[in-house]
Amino acid sequence: MDTQKIKIKQVENTTAGKIFHVAREYAVNDNVVVEFAQETKPYRGKVFAAVQANVGDISKYCAGTAAKLIKEGYTGYLIRTTNDEKTGNGSNAENILRAERENKQIAKELGFTDVYNLYNCQHRLHDRSLLEVSARFIFIFRALKVDTVLSYDPRNTDEPDHDRLFTARAVEEACMYSGTETHLPVFEEGGIMPFPVRQRYYYITSPAQRYNRVIDIGTAIDKKINAMSLCSSTGLGRKGSQIRKELAAQGKRLPVLGSDDRTADREYIRHFLMPKYGAFEEAGQFGLEYAERFVYFDDSEQEEEKHLAEYIRKNAVTV
Amino acid sequence: MKRRNFIGGTAVGGALLGAGDGPGTAHAWPYRDVDYGMSGYNVFTLSGEVVFDKNLVIERAVEGKPHKGKVLAAIQAHSDDVPLFSAGVIAKLINEGYEGYLIRTTNEAGSAGGTVGEGMVNAEQHGPAIAQALGMKKAIDLNFKKHQLETINIQELKMQLIFLIRALKIDTIVTFDPYNLYEENPDHSFTAAAVMPASWHAAGMTDYPEFAQAAGITGHLVRDKYFHPRSPQGHNVINRIVDISDVIDQKVEANIANYNFGPCGVNGSLLRNRLAQEGKRLPVLGNSDRSANFNYIKDLMMEDWRRLGKEFGLEYAEAFHYINRDYGDTSVEEYVNDNAVPL
Repeated sequence: MDTQKIKIKQVENTTAGKIFHVAREYAVNDNVVVEFAQETKPYRGKVFAAVQANVGDISKYCAGTAAKLIKEGYTGYLIRTTNDEKTGNGSNAENILRAERENKQIAKELGFTDVYNLYNCQHRLHDRSLLEVSARFIFIFRALKVDTVLSYDPRNTDEPDHDRLFTARAVEEACMYSGTETHLPVFEEGGIMPFPVRQRYYYITSPAQRYNRVIDIGTAIDKKINAMSLCSSTGLGRKGSQIRKELAAQGKRLPVLGSDDRTADREYIRHFLMPKYGAFEEAGQFGLEYAERFVYFDDSEQEEEKHLAEYIRKNAVTV
Repeated sequence: MKRRNFIGGTAVGGALLGAGDGPGTAHAWPYRDVDYGMSGYNVFTLSGEVVFDKNLVIERAVEGKPHKGKVLAAIQAHSDDVPLFSAGVIAKLINEGYEGYLIRTTNEAGSAGGTVGEGMVNAEQHGPAIAQALGMKKAIDLNFKKHQLETINIQELKMQLIFLIRALKIDTIVTFDPYNLYEENPDHSFTAAAVMPASWHAAGMTDYPEFAQAAGITGHLVRDKYFHPRSPQGHNVINRIVDISDVIDQKVEANIANYNFGPCGVNGSLLRNRLAQEGKRLPVLGNSDRSANFNYIKDLMMEDWRRLGKEFGLEYAEAFHYINRDYGDTSVEEYVNDNAVPL
């Protein structure tokens, strides 16, 4: 995105963070709210679920935010919808096993409490019943009492990956109905009661997607880089050491890649991948070095009550 | 009236179960001819050939509560299925100690009179009333669209059944036979088709591991299944005849509880009132709505189950294809016990 085209009309400081009022074509609802890192744990007692179709997506697109939320008190759960059977160069089973292990390592690095793997066949997710997949999410959201969800944007028209689109749709539906008593009351037979999801962060995966929330991940950038380096299935995690070996075979080296494989992998990510996954071009305009972008929805009644209170404040007259 | 031929008898079955009139008595060879004509009163019966397994067992009532601590689920598509075809065995098993749940897969849209909404409200009340008549703990409705069960993704129904089997720890299932010949109602076929794999997959942990992972609801094995036909005399292979003589009145009450849906319900009193308006009466219906409803069901609608029972020396009986999961394990264990030697 051309940074020159982002016109920031006004910056407003609020308790929710800095609100940047921007030109409409670049942001949802004309506003971009920046969430800065907090020293305290204001989210203690709250639960979030981060959802991905494939291993590596959370580490690329929202690992910084996940680590930040966990540091600020959230309990986090990682949910993966496919089995990643086609991710990597091995056989189906080898790919599944590698992805399973890497997913667990990434979750541990970022501080997730547990990992849920739904193991639908990769690249065949749109063959599944949306109702069944969304029902599994509803079960998990209710059982774990998930307040906040991080997932793909179901309205990303640039997304070619059906697994992501299907996952996004199933998650959105589950967020809508997780708190509804009349939807899947069968789970009450096992003591699993309705529980509403209050906030959704849809992470941005395509360059031209609009967003309305920017999360400052400066304090979590090392965790994000570590998480990305743990994912060899996608090829990105081991690229640095691979380049280092190829250069060494030619009698060369890149100083930025350091002197060992682990450093090479991490520094490759920092220098060559972060412009896409964490230091996107506009971040500087928001006063940030590293950031992740989202379409954010607050579905809590609190938000509606806030609007009502504000309306009353502005419009009530004496009898 | 059609003549029904069937084969009955056993050799091995009798040895396993013991001789005489025990709770499960296997009938000996040879073949037996049966002259069993359908009454024609029950509109849902279908004609079709019946094969009676050579290891046919007659399951009789037992004293005490030998099944105390066990759980059964009666899974029906519509609220008249269980009352008509399997209420007897359910009442018997509940009386013998089982805790029971009544699960209905469809939403009964279009049933039970009035507008769609009015009918569904009526039908919603049938489940708890039927459950109460049979001594069951609870009625659970899954509410898939009636008469269109063949259009759903069956995995979604399976998932809900797997959850219920694990959460309620269901040991025994009573439901439609998935191989009912010429079954015209897809709700029956697909309910049974979902129950079959669900009852197996519920035992493991690889299907829907999140039930255990997030909520501690672990795998549970369904030990046995009673598959009933859509007609009293049975379809396909019948290997169990259950004596429901002691619980026939409970079966009648369960059918009354299904008050404005199906061939039973309050049709007795409606008939009595109609005849009265014509200046007539049927002595069998008695002098009150209550006696009309009860006697209409017992003397007319239950006639086919009385005729079935008579073939086996019983007052009333229900026919099933019964499956027990313990067969393989027990045989291997017995062989080990009989043949293992010291190292």
